[in-house]
Amino acid sequence: MAFQEHAAGAAGATAEKFDAGRTIIEHVSNSPLEHPLIHVPSVAGIDFSVTKHVLMLWIVAALVGAVVTAVVRRYLKQDRPIPSGFMNALEAIVEYVRDVIVQPNVGRKWANTWTPLVLTLFIFILCANAMGLVPIFEVVGVLDHWVLHTGPDSFAKRLLHGGTTATANFNVTAALATITFFAIIVAGTKAHGFVKHWKNLVPHGLAPLLYIILVPIELLGLLVRPFALTMRLAANMTGGHIAILAILSFVFMFAELFGHAIAGIGVGLAVSVPLAVGISALEIIVILVQAYVFSLLTAVFIGMAIHVHH
Amino acid sequence: MNNPLVQPDPGLFIWTIVTFLVLVAVLAKFAWGPLLKMLDSRHETIRRSLDDAEQARVELERLQGQSIEIVRQARIEAEAIISASRTDAGRLREEMRQKAKAEADALVKSAERQIQLETTRALQQIRHEAVDLSVMIASKILQRNLSKEDNQRLIDETLQQVEAGRR
Repeated sequence: MAFQEHAAGAAGATAEKFDAGRTIIEHVSNSPLEHPLIHVPSVAGIDFSVTKHVLMLWIVAALVGAVVTAVVRRYLKQDRPIPSGFMNALEAIVEYVRDVIVQPNVGRKWANTWTPLVLTLFIFILCANAMGLVPIFEVVGVLDHWVLHTGPDSFAKRLLHGGTTATANFNVTAALATITFFAIIVAGTKAHGFVKHWKNLVPHGLAPLLYIILVPIELLGLLVRPFALTMRLAANMTGGHIAILAILSFVFMFAELFGHAIAGIGVGLAVSVPLAVGISALEIIVILVQAYVFSLLTAVFIGMAIHVHH
Repeated sequence: MNNPLVQPDPGLFIWTIVTFLVLVAVLAKFAWGPLLKMLDSRHETIRRSLDDAEQARVELERLQGQSIEIVRQARIEAEAIISASRTDAGRLREEMRQKAKAEADALVKSAERQIQLETTRALQQIRHEAVDLSVMIASKILQRNLSKEDNQRLIDETLQQVEAGRR
């Protein structure tokens, strides 16, 4: 991550004591609602202002939507549909999600109904995760610090606040898990009818006394699933970034400790950068695995609502 | 709840849902739907092509078997024709040889008989000539005519003597 420059800029601006914890949290959390990128008036007490993470979501959605649609359209326009280039990769992902993630869980009958949702979840989460690894705004920060010299409350300055990984924010993952939650209900309703779906929540033909225990447990389970999805994705995305940022903080800690920038740069080159590179490589695996786990669990839960086993 | 990491943000929550649902709708309509349909149809096309290829292979194998059978049959027939004509030729040759031999035999036999016949006749003629000659010579010698009976008797006697002499 080219985070160093940005942090250096921040450290230069605030010449006082370096607070690692505060800096790290500021770099993984959303930009504060008090200083949104675009201010939108509140509706029914909810602040709809466009913060950094909202912007990241839009960038990811626009990128995914435009690229995927363009590639598929161009591919389908051919006289003889022969996949080539990027289409090969996309087709591999589509077939993998359909044949390995969705179909074994949901079944052949419903596979094509639920593949679009799971596919979108997979690609959207994957791209949002990956976007967090790319230090785009740090480049804006460097540009602003040395070239643009904008005012303290400019759009460029506001862009710098907050982390770039939208999926590290549990509000975002909670929203995605909510979509899974409703997808489960819709899947069960479509397969069995509304009433039957809720009856399927607990096994039939047990002693009536057991239902007093079972119904609350199953209802709790219903809510625990999306909660687990929410926390798993957000925590995993936050964790890796915090590790990288903590390691990079050594640079400023040592610079402060020895009262000289050389000490910080030496520690940075010898320890921080190699370690950060290693963890970034690990993060590439994590972003793939987390996108996979989220979409796989969504498919599993939808499958459980369709094929009720007790 | 001063930590920005765990700050609830309903605006972001709703923005996420809206953004994601729009993305799902757009992709499902313009990308995933047509793509999945195409994948299914291509799957079907490949299955049909493989079926066709298999059918063609079976048909080719059948035709190959048929042509081999035809060639085999033809060879058998040719061999039968050759062997039949060989035996025919042998028989014909034998027949002709036999016929020629019989003809030659008959020819030889008839020639022998002819020769015998001719010989006998020649001998008879010679005998008569000799007799006439003898008679003429004798009559000349005797200067007299013997009676016919004497003649005959003389002839017979002489003949008998000749016969006896020959024996």
